[in-house]
Formats: sequence, structure tokens, C-alpha cells
Amino acid sequence: MANYKEAPLATRPKTLDPAEYFNLSPDYRRAEEKRAALRAQLKRQYLEQLNNPHRKELIEDPALTRWTYARTNNNYFRPTAKTSLIGGLFGVLPLFVLYVVFKTDRDKREAKIKAGTYERPYKLST
Amino acid sequence: MSAAECQRGKMAALRAGLLTRALTKGKTPAISNIILGTRAASGPSKDTLPGAYPRSPEEMAAAAKKYNMTLEDYKPYPNDGMGYGDYPMLPERSQQERDPWYQWDHPDLRRNWGEPMHWDFDMYIRNRVDTSPSPVEWRTMRNQLLGFVGFMLLMFGLGEMFPCYQPVAPKQYPYSDLYLERGGDPAKEPEPVKNYEI
Repeated sequence: MANYKEAPLATRPKTLDPAEYFNLSPDYRRAEEKRAALRAQLKRQYLEQLNNPHRKELIEDPALTRWTYARTNNNYFRPTAKTSLIGGLFGVLPLFVLYVVFKTDRDKREAKIKAGTYERPYKLST
Repeated sequence: MSAAECQRGKMAALRAGLLTRALTKGKTPAISNIILGTRAASGPSKDTLPGAYPRSPEEMAAAAKKYNMTLEDYKPYPNDGMGYGDYPMLPERSQQERDPWYQWDHPDLRRNWGEPMHWDFDMYIRNRVDTSPSPVEWRTMRNQLLGFVGFMLLMFGLGEMFPCYQPVAPKQYPYSDLYLERGGDPAKEPEPVKNYEI
């Protein structure tokens, strides 16, 4: 695996990253071990539930619940300068800008029609 | 045991509250009062759900444990009121970049059970946004595309402003400018139309 070349449009897998094998400090190793331990615990919990012959219900994923809760309940939104600016820019400004744009365009067209100089762009009849 | 007792105590308090409110006001309280008062104990408990931005190291450690991450990996989004709370900021990598040969618990999502999900997880699934490496650098691709499109737009615009084509004259029709075909009277003689010069 020393001369592994990854597929053209893929990232290199973590286990084949040379940085994983050379110049590893004890801190890095300890952190990796902690991560691996967490992963192994989660895997064990999942497989216990999956292979339990008496299980009848769906395996509930708390990470999914947390994600859904975080995305749907915006409890921690706070009106600050940044959020007010974004809200104003995307929510309030388009209303006024679009009104002005459409109004001027239509007024110009109306004036042209009244003056008789309006040429219909897609006129079908001669 | 204590959790069951707590639950029973809460349910008793809820029933007592509803009863007293019904008796005193003469009508049942609004749905919002019931919702804000107590929550059903059948769902996840408050400490497993996302909470507010962690301020102290203990809160950081508790949040990291809640999300099944190590303390070094756990980094919340900056607290600027955008509504993230203590949700972790994970690297912006799409699921397409993950190892296709590993035995994931959910193979189409390339995710394991219990793994913390990215805030934009539904954007980074394999059918949607993909951050895997491209054959050419993104900057080069973007410059080439925008350069080509911009150049074509520019040339078409110039062509509209300054049209240049072969010199043309109005079309010449035979038979006295198609007198009969254009609904002219067959009895009358049309005036001769000369389209040439000798």
C-alpha cells in the first residue's frame, strides 16, 4: 500500500493517509484512540440493537433527533446587528426594490401605449 | 426509579393544575398553556437535545459528551445569534468524499449510527452538493467558465449594437411585383415594374 494512488476524483481515505503513519506524537495518538473508542462504542450499541432477535421496533438514532430538533426549532436565534442586517437585506429590501422596478417599468409601458409608440414584442397577427 | 417517580409526580401536578384551572376558570386552558407547562416524557430528555451556546469548560465538556465527540474535536458555531446554539461545527465535507468501501451502518448516506450530523447534512448527501476533488482546481474552472461565458456575452452584445452583414437591397418580385398574386384586378393592366437596368 506504499504506492497507493487514489482514484482521480476521490479523497484519500484516512487510513491510507501517510500522515497517519509517520511523525505521530503521543498526543495525536491519544486523541485518535479516544475517537476510535467512541466510534467503537457507538458501533457496539448499534449492532446490539440491530442483531437483537427480540427487537420489534425501529432503532432510534439520537444524533438524528438532535439534528432535526436543532434545524426545526430556532430557539437560539437572537436579533443582533448581523441577523437584522441579513433579515432586512433578504426580507424587506426585495419588497421595496421589486415594487419600484415593476412600477417604473409598467409606467413607462403605459406612457408609451398612451402615446401610441409601444411596439408589441410578440405580436402574432400582422 | 427516581425518573419514574419524577414522571409520576409531574403527571400528578399536571392533572392537578388542569383540574384547578378548569374549576376556577370554568373552561379548559388553552393548548399553549398545556404545552409550555409540561412536556411528555416519551420523547428525548432535555439533556440529550441541543442547548444554548456553551460558556464554561464544563458546559463544553458536557456538550461534547452529548454529541459523542471528543473535547478536542468539539467546536461550536460562533455565538452571533444565527441560531446554532451549541451544535458542533463539523468540517464542510460532503458524504461523497467518505470511504465507499467501509461498512457504514447506513451505506447510502455513508454514515454510522450515532455519528454527529453536519448542520447542512441534507445538502451534503450524495445526490446533492459534492465537495470531492475536481480534475482541475476550482479557481481555474471558474475562471475559464466565466471567461468564456463573459466573452460570448460581450461579443453578442457588440453584435447587436453594431450589426455588420452583406449589403442587401429590397426583394424584387417578377410579374409586375406579383400583381395578380397580390389580388390585383385581372381585367386592368398593371403599371410595368422595371427591376433592372441595361
